[in-house]
Amino acid sequence: MLNIKLTQPIKNVLSAQKAPLAMLLIFITMLFFKTPFYTSYNLIDLVNSNSTLLIVAMGFTVVLVAGGVDLSVGGVMTVSGIIAIQLINAGVAIPIAVLVSILFGAIIGAINGYLTVYQNTEPFIITLGMGVLLTGVAQQLTTARPISCTNPDFQNLANYKLFGQIPVLILVMIATVIIVVWILRSTSFGRNCYAIGGDYEVAKYSGINVLTTKTLTFVISGVTAALAGVMLSSWVNSGNSTYGDQTALYIASAVVVGGTSFAGGIGGAFKSLLGVMFIGVLSNAFNMIQIDSYIQQLLVGLFIVGIIWLDCYDRKLKKEVV
Amino acid sequence: MTTQSIISFIRNNLIIVGIFILAIITAIVEPNFLTTENLQNIMRQFGPLIMLSLGMTFIIMGGFIDLSVGGIISLVAVVTVSLIDPIGQVAALLVGITVGLICGLINSFLIIKGGALKQAEALFLTYGMSVVYTAIALIYTGAASVFLSYSKTSFSIFTAIGEGFVGPVSVTFVIFMVCLLILYIIESRTYIGRSISLTGGNMTAARLAGIPTERTIVFIYAVCGIMAAIGAVVLASRVTIASPIMGKGYETQAILAVVVGGTALLGGKGSVIRTVIGTLLIIMMSNCLNLLGVTTYIQYMLRGAILILAIWLDNRKQYSEGY
Repeated sequence: MLNIKLTQPIKNVLSAQKAPLAMLLIFITMLFFKTPFYTSYNLIDLVNSNSTLLIVAMGFTVVLVAGGVDLSVGGVMTVSGIIAIQLINAGVAIPIAVLVSILFGAIIGAINGYLTVYQNTEPFIITLGMGVLLTGVAQQLTTARPISCTNPDFQNLANYKLFGQIPVLILVMIATVIIVVWILRSTSFGRNCYAIGGDYEVAKYSGINVLTTKTLTFVISGVTAALAGVMLSSWVNSGNSTYGDQTALYIASAVVVGGTSFAGGIGGAFKSLLGVMFIGVLSNAFNMIQIDSYIQQLLVGLFIVGIIWLDCYDRKLKKEVV
Repeated sequence: MTTQSIISFIRNNLIIVGIFILAIITAIVEPNFLTTENLQNIMRQFGPLIMLSLGMTFIIMGGFIDLSVGGIISLVAVVTVSLIDPIGQVAALLVGITVGLICGLINSFLIIKGGALKQAEALFLTYGMSVVYTAIALIYTGAASVFLSYSKTSFSIFTAIGEGFVGPVSVTFVIFMVCLLILYIIESRTYIGRSISLTGGNMTAARLAGIPTERTIVFIYAVCGIMAAIGAVVLASRVTIASPIMGKGYETQAILAVVVGGTALLGGKGSVIRTVIGTLLIIMMSNCLNLLGVTTYIQYMLRGAILILAIWLDNRKQYSEGY
């Protein structure tokens, strides 16, 4: 009896806090390897290189919480980055080009939302098709070659270092995280998202405007993906139609690792932050101990399958208990 | 036929009508379209895709989806071609098909044991498995391509599949007809065939009615794995090369072909015959666009747009039928 009482809380903590615990494990493991992992350069670079993914993950989380899925984030990211660069190359002022790109993301989000919410289609397959479509758009815009920005100021958008240390990209990421955490936790819109994701019909009959709210979640996802795309293009000073190839899957698994569920109604923005950072730290550690890149791909694939499988399995067990 | 019924026919088959109009325009503008050479070209492209689409039809009819076929093609192709030298062509072929079958069984095992019985969950799991299969193929060959013609022992079967003819029809076409016949008989005459559409229609109801839903899921993924393997062999024979990334993009094309043919994505309704029509239309469309000089990038865009349109229209149809 005593045994069960003691292990139960430990089990609960283990299953609820998978991402932070696993991250802690990696940090401890890395102490035993003589690598440049624990240098301020690597740690800042670690946050910096995951910032664009974190920005995408924030919008993705909002959609997931409200019971939808947005697989077009990779496509939106790529195209908006390319639009920004091409507008600036054509002589448009940088702020206007950035705004147009973000507006583009919002429009794609609105189309996704209209098709899935108002026309009642399956979100994952519609947004998958939208991702294919946008990849085609990106290839057409760039003729499938990487393009670069001719205006040197564009790079500073992400790379300018505040106090000579912290890149603007990180600040934009932190601002996005704070805004999305605030939206989900402290606004009625955020609470409605949880209600809709938890049970669509119940939310509808309790007087929540389910159609508008759910469509708005797709718009938010489009906006964050477009913002991430612009920041990514500025960070590496180029636009390429292949940037978004695996983003949707990567973000989806990272968000689920963090503890947001595909079932909807469970999770949060801060959890997604931990999830994305965990996968980032993992692949950084892999690089540091020099694992072959194809073996890395295999490990990441197995890891993604494992995490999604566990998410499904947890729900299956809960269903059987009820 | 009254005008009313013509209008409603066009509305219900918008995409099929659209592709036919495209074909007619191409035939008028570009006289090369109706030459024997071009029609043979269409038939050649038809080969690998139709195998995948036939397998994918069973999956979608059963209410699931499989994004791992791209990875399975890559893996089977490199394994089969690289094994011709060490163990001979017949054994290599059998090992290749077995690898496809095993991949399908792994997918179904993950789905059943994890309880990933929703289409979206199956989509993510198989997408992840696609990454895994591709990574295994990359590690297996060290990211290099394997050339069929470098084999020292005989590879006559592969040459026959790639280029051979039986009378007026190609060997690939014969393989396709055999697969179609077997799958059609399974679909329309057997217990397991009926179980597939019942499982896709309403899984809970099917299970309560005593249909072995789990066995059905294993069956459809196994068939899809085998068909993907056959597609990989046909593809590798035609291009005489096996690359560890050659399957990329085939999964969306197969889903597109199935959906354009008219198999409902929600499961329960569909047929392998419809998929044959859908695949023909997709390949004819890309052939027309090539002849008209449209870039591959815009074709990629159109593929996405048609996928969205097909699902949207299908949904509207089901609602108007009072579903």
